[in-house]
Amino acid sequence: MKSGKKAVFLFFFIALLASGLCLGTCSRGTEAPGKSYVALITKSMDSAFWQSVYAGAGAAATEYNLEITLEGPASEEDYETQNMLIDRAVEDGAKVIIFSAVDYNANSEAINRAAKSGVKIVVIDSDVNSSQVSCRIGTDNHAAGRMAGRAVLDTEEEELYIGIVNHDVNSANGQQREEGFREAALEDERVKAMYTINVPSTTEDAREGAANLLKEHPEINAVVTFNEWTSLGVGWAIRDMELADSTRVVAFDSNVVSVGMLETGEVDALIVQNPYAMGYLGVERANSLITGSGQEESRIDTATTCVTRENMFEPECQRILFAF
Amino acid sequence: MDKKQYGLSLSAILNLFVVGIVLAALLGGLWVFVSVFRHSVEQSALTSSEQAVVQASNAVRNYTVDMEGVMGTIEEFYGQETPERDRSLATLLRVRRDVVAITSYDEEGRMQDAWTGTYRLKKKILKNLSFPETDRPGPGTIGISEPHAETLLENYYPWVVSITKELEAPDGGKHMVVMDIRFSQIAGYVDGVGIGQHGYCFIMDGEGNVIYHPQQQLIYSGLKPEQTDILAGMGDGSVIRSDVIYTIRTLDNCGWRIVGISHIDELVTGRVRATMQILLVLICFVLATVFMGSYILSRTISRPIQGLVKAMQDFEANAKGFNYQPVHGSSEIRALSDSFGHMVVRLQDLMEKVRSEEITLRKTELKALQAQINPHFLYNTLDAISWLCEEERSRDAVEMVNALARLFRISISKGHELIPIEKEVQHAKSYLMIQNFRYKNQFTYSFDIEEAVLPCLCNKITLQPIIENAIYHGINRMVDEGRIDIRIFQEGEDIIFTVTDNGVGMSREQCSSILNSEPDSQNGIGIKNVNERIKIYFGDRYGLTIESEPDEGTSVEIRMPRIEEDGNEVR
Repeated sequence: MKSGKKAVFLFFFIALLASGLCLGTCSRGTEAPGKSYVALITKSMDSAFWQSVYAGAGAAATEYNLEITLEGPASEEDYETQNMLIDRAVEDGAKVIIFSAVDYNANSEAINRAAKSGVKIVVIDSDVNSSQVSCRIGTDNHAAGRMAGRAVLDTEEEELYIGIVNHDVNSANGQQREEGFREAALEDERVKAMYTINVPSTTEDAREGAANLLKEHPEINAVVTFNEWTSLGVGWAIRDMELADSTRVVAFDSNVVSVGMLETGEVDALIVQNPYAMGYLGVERANSLITGSGQEESRIDTATTCVTRENMFEPECQRILFAF
Repeated sequence: MDKKQYGLSLSAILNLFVVGIVLAALLGGLWVFVSVFRHSVEQSALTSSEQAVVQASNAVRNYTVDMEGVMGTIEEFYGQETPERDRSLATLLRVRRDVVAITSYDEEGRMQDAWTGTYRLKKKILKNLSFPETDRPGPGTIGISEPHAETLLENYYPWVVSITKELEAPDGGKHMVVMDIRFSQIAGYVDGVGIGQHGYCFIMDGEGNVIYHPQQQLIYSGLKPEQTDILAGMGDGSVIRSDVIYTIRTLDNCGWRIVGISHIDELVTGRVRATMQILLVLICFVLATVFMGSYILSRTISRPIQGLVKAMQDFEANAKGFNYQPVHGSSEIRALSDSFGHMVVRLQDLMEKVRSEEITLRKTELKALQAQINPHFLYNTLDAISWLCEEERSRDAVEMVNALARLFRISISKGHELIPIEKEVQHAKSYLMIQNFRYKNQFTYSFDIEEAVLPCLCNKITLQPIIENAIYHGINRMVDEGRIDIRIFQEGEDIIFTVTDNGVGMSREQCSSILNSEPDSQNGIGIKNVNERIKIYFGDRYGLTIESEPDEGTSVEIRMPRIEEDGNEVR
């Protein structure tokens, strides 16, 4: 009887201490999380598009109290630097890598390697060939392509000869946009021919490529292009050749120059993505992966808007086109 | 012994009592503290929200006042001659980097002049958002537009606010002068205001349209809602609505409203929860300590008491063999324990004393009886001897005197209580001889004694009272010749004496009365005395048993342990 009572006392005592300790550790757990590190690796760094992504990511990182690094190679071709950045982020103890792939296939190994060491992967804008991706956030490229198609077709011309100036053939988003565009364009019988070139994703290459294309096929009366740099290149080529009035140009993304070209007529429509939302949602999703709560969806589409000369100064479009 | 019959033990009661009181006090204190704390934190959250909004609105207000000041400067310059005016305004644009462009329009809204600093004015302006088409300010007042993108400059699209004022041109005409001021500075003020971790300020106009929001990109992207329609209906001041603190303040000079939004769960609940957690941990530790403390305390009180209780119970059960171990504890307990110990010793002493006194009394009594010669017996015997002498039967007389002498010698036996059975038998024979002579051979007797038991010891005068009883109560009243048979034999470790007569016998009541009644003067030592003596010496399992059948005879059996002659005499 005595030992039984002793056991009961001991049990109460230990239970109390244990609950105290448990509560103590719990509270410590919630109070001092220590900033989790998230790495955002983009295709390049200084385009307006990526700056907007960084702005959104920074806002979300502040909101969710995360430490974030914003990095990318200098050029949008440089998947090797991206792979190096991925490896370095893993070494630095990143919990999540938010990634936009230069090359659909060439980046996959580095991403798989990172995922294997326990890092969660969130892809924004441009996909990578990997099954380890927790969430893909970005423009529905196919739908954006179709939107570009509709923008090209929104013309009085009887016959349409379309030049497509696409960027790197290995970039997933360019291919998906082109696919969507072709699908929309082929629905219209006014489209007589489509000529595609792939150029490196720089303004100069696109300018040269577009100029050659236009010289080679003078019948081209519509040009479509699928990212910020090639948009500028095409715009310059049109301006060089003074084809602004006779050629309908549909370009992607906005920066000061392409908006200027929209205003002056070299470009007739801009398919504007929402890079701010990509950055913001990417970090938000990274946070929910770290805390293990919240959203489950593995694909988030951000909105795209078609901005033309007519609606570019509407309040909504101003907010989309012009960063604060 | 099961303690449950007494209910809860002392230590359990003490423990429950102390822990209960402490727990109640702690929980009560916690509740009071948390409610007070929550209230004060809520108040401080409201205050900090209001302060933040006041700070933001002051900054914005100062900025608008400053803009009005700049407008005043422009007004001054505007009256000057054209070359001087251009120079002055160019300087202004250079000095005030936040002024992006200054344009002037005639009454029909046609652009007259434009000063754009380092940026080039567009050749063809697609749309002019700076010039208010409809909502022109009256003379002397200032119009402030909503923020918009600058649309007048080549490849430069900053967000600006246009400030419009009607001025008098040098030629005397009325000109609308528009100054576009970069909005990012106001945005910077607003962005810089934080309330708590996630709280923020934003600017809306009187209708609830967002003028500037730190997260406007999110709002425009549809990623975050802001309930501006509800806010538009609210007056200035602070409101707590479903865990969100809204603080609104309207600027007096432009109709803009600064809204501060902070989350009460983050400002208040978070802190309350953190505090609660710390307090709960503390409570747990305090309780554990109190629990341990009261346990130790109750142990120091109740354990010795339990020890005492057990000691008393043991003492109750077995007073004689009880060996008291003192109980340790506080001084009171030790005093109790010592007293109990003394009492135990004293009681045991008393008991021992009573017992030994009883034995001494018995012995004394016995010795007195033994020493006592039944005067009738002596008288009768002496009478018989004198009668023998008269008849000159000197041989018989000598035999009688010898027998009497033997009887007394053995009776005395140098004061020893235990004598060899041989002597006891001689004693019995002498007695029987005398009696047989006196009763003129009314009875016969026989001895059947195992040789082996003769050296063994027995209580003296054991057989004589029984034989005496057999003669007086059994044979004396008989008409026929009586017979007394005496047997002594060994049975296991015991020695059995039996005295059997064929006298009148006794009823069961008589048997028991013989064993219990005090000896009368005639009966000498008495059977009861024999029985008690044996029991005192050897224990309860020894003693007398009487079997009797009226008109058949009586058989008395004496049982005592076998004691060798050289064995120590008991007591």
